[in-house]
Amino acid sequence: MKSAATIFLAAFLALSASWAAFVLAPQLQLGREPQAKATGTDNLYPVARPGLAKQGAEVYRSLGCVYCHSQQVGQEGVKCEVILTEAGTNASVTLAALAKLNTELGQPQTLAALPKVLMPVADVPTAVPIIKAIAAVGAKAEARVTPVGADISRGWGLRRSVAQDYAYDSPVQPGTRRFGPDLANVGLTKPDVNWHLRHLYAPATEIKGSTMPPYRFLFEKHKRGAKPSPDALQFADEPGFEIVPTDDARALAAYLVSLRADAPLVEAPFTAPTPAAPSTNAPVATNRVASLPYTASELLKLPESSK
Amino acid sequence: MNAEPKTCSATTEADPVSETTTVPMWLITLALVLLFLGAWVFDLRGGWFEPKVYGPYTSVADAGRFQPPPPDGPDVKRGKVLFEQNCALCHGNDGMGKPNQAPPLAGSEWVLATGVNRLIRIPLVGLNGPIKVNGQDWNLQMAAMGAQYSDDQLSDLLSYIRSAWGNKASPVTPEQVKKVRDDLKGRSQAYTVDELMKLPE
Repeated sequence: MKSAATIFLAAFLALSASWAAFVLAPQLQLGREPQAKATGTDNLYPVARPGLAKQGAEVYRSLGCVYCHSQQVGQEGVKCEVILTEAGTNASVTLAALAKLNTELGQPQTLAALPKVLMPVADVPTAVPIIKAIAAVGAKAEARVTPVGADISRGWGLRRSVAQDYAYDSPVQPGTRRFGPDLANVGLTKPDVNWHLRHLYAPATEIKGSTMPPYRFLFEKHKRGAKPSPDALQFADEPGFEIVPTDDARALAAYLVSLRADAPLVEAPFTAPTPAAPSTNAPVATNRVASLPYTASELLKLPESSK
Repeated sequence: MNAEPKTCSATTEADPVSETTTVPMWLITLALVLLFLGAWVFDLRGGWFEPKVYGPYTSVADAGRFQPPPPDGPDVKRGKVLFEQNCALCHGNDGMGKPNQAPPLAGSEWVLATGVNRLIRIPLVGLNGPIKVNGQDWNLQMAAMGAQYSDDQLSDLLSYIRSAWGNKASPVTPEQVKKVRDDLKGRSQAYTVDELMKLPE
């Protein structure tokens, strides 16, 4: 063993080099990342989770949610488009200006349903002269930047996940397996705490064919008294009983609702989509926000019987 | 059973000894080619260890191509920062002014004037003596607070005070500020209201 020292030194160098490259350097680069401003606003991102949600992160950790759910959204590319948002007062002048950009855009139906995608462009600086040309005739256009990728088309996020998203997580739980959907933006897609509580109690009632195990031990089953608990779930699987979430369940639901990576950042730019203008002959159900309660006039517009 | 002890004989093989052999040239070449290709791809797409570069972007400049364009004309956000650092001490963050310190800017006819010829002069050289703002009489001195700023900064700042706190007036362009600054010809004496009123709006 005359080369023992050499072998030790080589192994030590190899391990310390990888430790320095994969642990020390990222820690120095990102370990003390300050809050950043979301692009175009003064809002700081990320904000610390509220107390209950912070406790919920511990519940999430202890239940091992991370073994089936990831919290990282991938992105494969980005596309940039010019969107016409306002037609201006003089339609014919606007159409003439649009025809100069592309003869097909000069048709009257271009102005029919706004906002309308006018054309794809390479990047925002290419779009600026087009937007200025449209603004010169009194109409309004903007450049929209949309991330693309498999995760994004699944509706799991608006952009890719970046280090900034995890600044207040300790430990960070990005996960490695996706037996269930990614949860990086579950607070954005499912903002209702009660939905999460019902889903934790009986996943299959909220999502057909869900393979998630029910987490019934997070709930207590009481005999319904004269005054039902105000926190009881809207579940009637056994008459005379009510299902009340425990503190753990409430904390976990608060944590899930707090999961939203929806700020555009310098390192992951995107344009927040402009809400579509409600068109008069579209069915009511398609363009309503799911979490808003119905109004009576909305309900009366719906067909009485459902299939 | 072979009970006889083995005897040493001359035919026993000699102990193996290590010897040096040359690494074949093709292996060195292959390693160098792979190293080159790796470095080339890293240079092209790796972002040079920049912590703010994430795929699909290849550099900070590449991600910069997809940032929202800067606002057209004066940047009132920058103006707000300048105001709150330098003017708000007397005029207030809410633009309401402070008794015995400074008159209000919110709703002030001096700030909201259609022509900005007089307004631009006030921060550039200051203002002395009595002035009527929002129907109230003031008699104070304002120093040349804005003389240190560039035309761009002053246009951001003045555009901010003309658009904040319910004020709704057109923005002030850097060209307008430059024109007034040239017109002042290095004057450093503060204006009085009488002098300002003699100037065209």
